[in-house]
Amino acid sequence: MQHDLLPTPKSERWKYTNLPGALKKHDLNPATLGWGGDVALLNKDAPGAAQYQDTQLWDLNSDQTQDIKFISTDDTLDINAKDGQWLSPRLVIHIKSGEEVTLIENQAGAGAYWKNQVVQIVLEENARLSHYRFIDEQDSGVLTSFTHIQLARDARYQALSFMSGAGFVRNQIHADIQGENADCTLNGVNLLAGSQHADTTITIEHQAPHCTSNQTYKNIVTDKARGVFQGKVHVHRAAQKTDGYQLSNTLLLSPLAEMDTKPELEIYADDVKCSHGATTGQLDETALFYLRARGIPEKQARGLLMSSFLAPAFERADDNILPRLEELTEGWLEKHV
Amino acid sequence: MIKIKNLHAEIDGNEILKGIDLEIEPGKVHAIMGPNGSGKSTLSYVLVGREDYDVTQGDILFNGESVLEMAPEERAAAGLFLAFQYPVEIPGVQMTTFLKTALNAVRQERGEDELDAIDFLKLMKKTCADLGINDEMMKRAVNAGFSGGEKKRNEVLQMAMLAPKFAVLDETDSGLDIDALKIVAEGVNKLRGPDRSFLVITHYQRLLDYIEPDVVHVLADGKIIKTGGPDLAKELEEKGYSEILENAA
Repeated sequence: MQHDLLPTPKSERWKYTNLPGALKKHDLNPATLGWGGDVALLNKDAPGAAQYQDTQLWDLNSDQTQDIKFISTDDTLDINAKDGQWLSPRLVIHIKSGEEVTLIENQAGAGAYWKNQVVQIVLEENARLSHYRFIDEQDSGVLTSFTHIQLARDARYQALSFMSGAGFVRNQIHADIQGENADCTLNGVNLLAGSQHADTTITIEHQAPHCTSNQTYKNIVTDKARGVFQGKVHVHRAAQKTDGYQLSNTLLLSPLAEMDTKPELEIYADDVKCSHGATTGQLDETALFYLRARGIPEKQARGLLMSSFLAPAFERADDNILPRLEELTEGWLEKHV
Repeated sequence: MIKIKNLHAEIDGNEILKGIDLEIEPGKVHAIMGPNGSGKSTLSYVLVGREDYDVTQGDILFNGESVLEMAPEERAAAGLFLAFQYPVEIPGVQMTTFLKTALNAVRQERGEDELDAIDFLKLMKKTCADLGINDEMMKRAVNAGFSGGEKKRNEVLQMAMLAPKFAVLDETDSGLDIDALKIVAEGVNKLRGPDRSFLVITHYQRLLDYIEPDVVHVLADGKIIKTGGPDLAKELEEKGYSEILENAA
């Protein structure tokens, strides 16, 4: 494997996440999911890669991919790696004007593996995409996922990422909001235990006026696990009346758990509303005592408080998805709290 | 019902309760009055098992059995209840979820059947109606954004739902205007009965005009320095704490 092509913690955007270090432990070989897809169909000039400084993983995916999926209608994808595999899945999602699509992505695997995924999303005028990503990786699994979204006028992108097993994850999202009155909502729940590592790195480029973006991330980190949240909102000079909101809340359940948070706002327009908030703390002991004093057993009381902590991230989730989210949350809390 | 014997308790190495003896019989209402810092709130927390406090000597017997080794939830199931001076706001947990979870946990411990959603709602609505509480409150998150009066009424509602045998009211009058105070006191009076005892903790005599105690104690510097009938509260109100404290010294 070409380790010299990988981003290292020397670059600012990878400061907290040592990918070469995580991959070094494993002996992996290029493999396929069997999706097929013609690499020649990939448009080298398609929105995505070119704009960024850290394009190494994107380029590596373009070189290596044997699995390409073109998506324009409702779909559910299971992306499962086997032991020893190095996969390079590529999702190319194009939603036509006025259409509404739901995509469910299930990320999992067995043994040691690396999935280096690229997701390219183009939303035409007034197109809507609800994108659910369930991540349940093995402890020795590595997932790097780069999602690029381009939104035209009146387009709506609504994503929820739910992580109940991390291994080693870099979830990078870049949204270009190019048309007026578009909305980009990125919600996430990261539940981390053991020595898992999960990095969420987001850039939102507000390039057009009257657009909104929302990020609500909730993290619960226990044992020796480590979470990273880097969120940047960049409001260009033309993007007047932008409403940008970013929130990252973390509960640390053990003294060795760690969370690194880096919110960034870069604003060049003068009539905008932007806010960001980041908190890292422990469970409210006073609230816990109140619940217990009413007869609720400690474990159940902790679960109740944690579920309520996570709830804002689920607010926009579809009714069909909620039961799965609740079940996964309960399962994780049962095991780790 | 409850028997407190030579109770000493401390927090962070500071002794707050310095030997309290108190016995309350079934159906009786006792009041504890005392100046700020006398240990009133500490006593209420120690009774329901808050873990920040260490009991260093003495015992608390509830129907003859020591509760010192019991967790807060076990004490609640056994029938102890504290109406908090400052009820805790828990955004994100709905009142109905909270109350149903609590009630069913307690019922399970008491060997009673759990209530299903419909029976629970019926009981909740009836209890709200009995206490003159608008059940719209149940659709909100626990105490979140509640006014002072709403919070205290909510404590009384929880008490009515959980049906404890012994309830401690910690400065339930603090932060209430006279109308809110009357409503809360009325709620408490409805719950009085031959099998239920109360300990009413207050700084002022005002509350005791509405919840009439059988016995009044004065707490100062972690000890009960005087015990008497309802008249003692009135005497305190007239003369202030200083005279009684001096006479006791």
